[in-house]
Amino acid sequence: MNLIISHLSKQYRRDFWGLRDFDLELKPGVIGLLGPNGAGKSTLMRMLATITQPTEGKIEWNGVDIVKSPDALRAVLGYLPQDFGVYPNLTALEFLEYMAAIKGMDGKTARRRIDELLVLVNLAQAAKRPLGGYSGGMKQRVGIAQALLNDPQLLIVDEPTVGLDPEERVRFRNLLSDLSGERIILLSTHIVSDVEATATEIVIINKGQKRQHAAPEKLLALLDGKVWQWVIPSEDLPALKASHLVSGTIRRENGIQVRVVSEAAPAPEAERVTPSLEDVYLREVAQGSSSK
Amino acid sequence: MKTLRVIYHLARADFLERVRRYSFLIMLGLVVWLGYLSASGQMRMRVPPDYTGVINSAWVGATMTVTVSLLLGWVGFYIVKGSVSRDYETGVGQIMATTPLSRPLYMLGKWLSNFAVLGIAVVIMMIEGILMNLLLGTHDLDLLALAVPLVVIALPCVALIAALAVLFESIGWLRGGLGNVIYFFAFMFALVWSGQIEDIGTPGKIANPYIDFTGWQIIGDSVSHAARAVYPDTAGGFAFSITDLAAPNIFLWNGLQWTRDILLSRGFFLLVAMGIVLTSSLFFDRFNPSRLTVKRKKADSDSPALTPAIEATPRPDIHLTPLPASRPRFRFDALYLAELKLLLRGQRWWWYVVAAGLVIAQLANTPDVTRILLVVAWVWPILLLSGLGSRESRHNTREMVFSAPRPVLTQLPATWLAAFTLMALTGSGALVKFLTLGDTHSILAWLVGAIFVPSLALAFGVLTGSSKTFEIVYVFWMYLILNKFAAIDFVGLTPNSPWLMYLGLSLVLMIVAVSIRQWQIKTR
Repeated sequence: MNLIISHLSKQYRRDFWGLRDFDLELKPGVIGLLGPNGAGKSTLMRMLATITQPTEGKIEWNGVDIVKSPDALRAVLGYLPQDFGVYPNLTALEFLEYMAAIKGMDGKTARRRIDELLVLVNLAQAAKRPLGGYSGGMKQRVGIAQALLNDPQLLIVDEPTVGLDPEERVRFRNLLSDLSGERIILLSTHIVSDVEATATEIVIINKGQKRQHAAPEKLLALLDGKVWQWVIPSEDLPALKASHLVSGTIRRENGIQVRVVSEAAPAPEAERVTPSLEDVYLREVAQGSSSK
Repeated sequence: MKTLRVIYHLARADFLERVRRYSFLIMLGLVVWLGYLSASGQMRMRVPPDYTGVINSAWVGATMTVTVSLLLGWVGFYIVKGSVSRDYETGVGQIMATTPLSRPLYMLGKWLSNFAVLGIAVVIMMIEGILMNLLLGTHDLDLLALAVPLVVIALPCVALIAALAVLFESIGWLRGGLGNVIYFFAFMFALVWSGQIEDIGTPGKIANPYIDFTGWQIIGDSVSHAARAVYPDTAGGFAFSITDLAAPNIFLWNGLQWTRDILLSRGFFLLVAMGIVLTSSLFFDRFNPSRLTVKRKKADSDSPALTPAIEATPRPDIHLTPLPASRPRFRFDALYLAELKLLLRGQRWWWYVVAAGLVIAQLANTPDVTRILLVVAWVWPILLLSGLGSRESRHNTREMVFSAPRPVLTQLPATWLAAFTLMALTGSGALVKFLTLGDTHSILAWLVGAIFVPSLALAFGVLTGSSKTFEIVYVFWMYLILNKFAAIDFVGLTPNSPWLMYLGLSLVLMIVAVSIRQWQIKTR
């Protein structure tokens, strides 16, 4: 099972490319897709989900070009869009039955699967209430359930934890880990901790181009010995931000504790600390911005 | 000063949002086309049967005024209605609700924006009249004679329509499709009543400008008097249509006499418009969701639609049972039933009672009455049919639905078949009646109607991504059928209706729907 993306580009306007010459090969596991707003994450996901077609390039699912034959992928695809709606007059149960029919599932299998999913997303007791009365988080969970209906081999989830409370977020992370056996899960998010907890591989994307693709530990190794921490007076912070990449600040009694990514020690009192994925992400995004 | 600034910016933002939409371009295209017809004399005012005026600036200005009053009076309402709904849907309204913005100011801003959109159409028509005159050179240009009727008559008319759109949007149950249908009948009724169309230009009848919001009566009376002055034998009356008169009797009309009454009456309609806008603010809930909930709960006491769903206590982690690797074959019947359920969901019990009543009435009446009842029964599910092809956009489920296997070849036919079933059920009384009578002609016409309507709804829905166009066209179409317009009668109500032609047209519409949906999935 593999998904190969070669030279993928999407042009929206004459002078604007949402994605440019993007290459990626994915194998089973949870792949975290990180990038700032407008980086091209949703564009990439929509093309993989066969919602929109690339301007250039190829996407192959197990050797089949899905731009030419999208149904080869659609039968085994689960997709949770970033922004989606539901039919307000249907109950969660009816909506999932409808989506199961659309996905071509037979009634018996669908019913069994829906029952399990409703328990899984903690909506069993609200399943017979119209979706019009659901909160944002509950609708998000209906979206998660519909994405898992057909036991997908490729699961694409775009900002899945938006609107979920902390407990549900943890449950969803655990669910992704549980599911990540023999399937590819592509998880796009701004929340680095979500990726940190679940991803077996991380792709960092900025301005429509791939910046990094590696296992989390390899990405962390890139910053070994390059993350520093010390306390500075509050008034020195703007100057430090102008000269260094500050990846975190915490207010302390004696000033502000800063976290800086730098090749050399930025100050005599700075101490080396263990890098985090957030440091890596911020460095890649900053480098991507300055290189343009 | 601050108040004016608030209204200005409210109207400006709303206006800019609208004029950057494709629907605005379509409206402009329609206006330019109708302006051309009016200025070139293809669309003409006449006194029946064949008395018509010399094409001069006054005549062109008046023809354009009559055209714009009818077009924007009817279609203009649908063009501008929707700006308050958009604030509900986008959530912008809730942000506005947290500001000191008052209800009357909000409504005034929306009205001004509506008025500006429709007013642009009037101005464009005026410019077109001038340009056509300069290009064709059919007569000497008299700018005042051309422009004044548009300014004095058409603008107050569109101001009133803009206000009515605001009023409909301020009342919850008029905000959606039901409001669209009600407005159509209200407009038709008001047109007949206010213009007293039958009596326009008839000797002895005195025009009442204070009920003539379109200005048809004012212009019609004046034109008719001018015709009678030249041709005393004419019986009067006033008609307005796209007509090619073989040998017209020509008379000269130099425009309206602007009496005090006429001028005051146009000012009166502006005041009425302002009154409607301020009244709307009394109904407007200011995006208060709790007020909306209470009202709906009261109206639909057994509806669970807005009852907040209660969350259960989280259970321990459970694991999903993997599905068998061999995927079952696609089942169309399951999808069809799901589409049918989706189509019928959310209807109140009385909706079914009325539908059943209409079915029984079709059975119990004479064939002629049954045919009329069939038209009524097929208008009844209009708000269900209008969601066809557009509900994926309306409810933002496009990405989920279109990423399923074969979305065009499975979902679209299932949607169509569900709608056909609905047509068959609501018209079942007539079918049984025709079968009992052995009336083959009526049975076939029934079948064509049941095929044509879902095809039309689906094509419009897919094409526009909105339910509004179908609602406007379909209700007007059925109104014309009830008025025995044979050429567009697809249900066989009139003896010489070309209903069979609509079978071919249905096929074309279905192909259009499939092709456009295919294109949309590929390109968006």
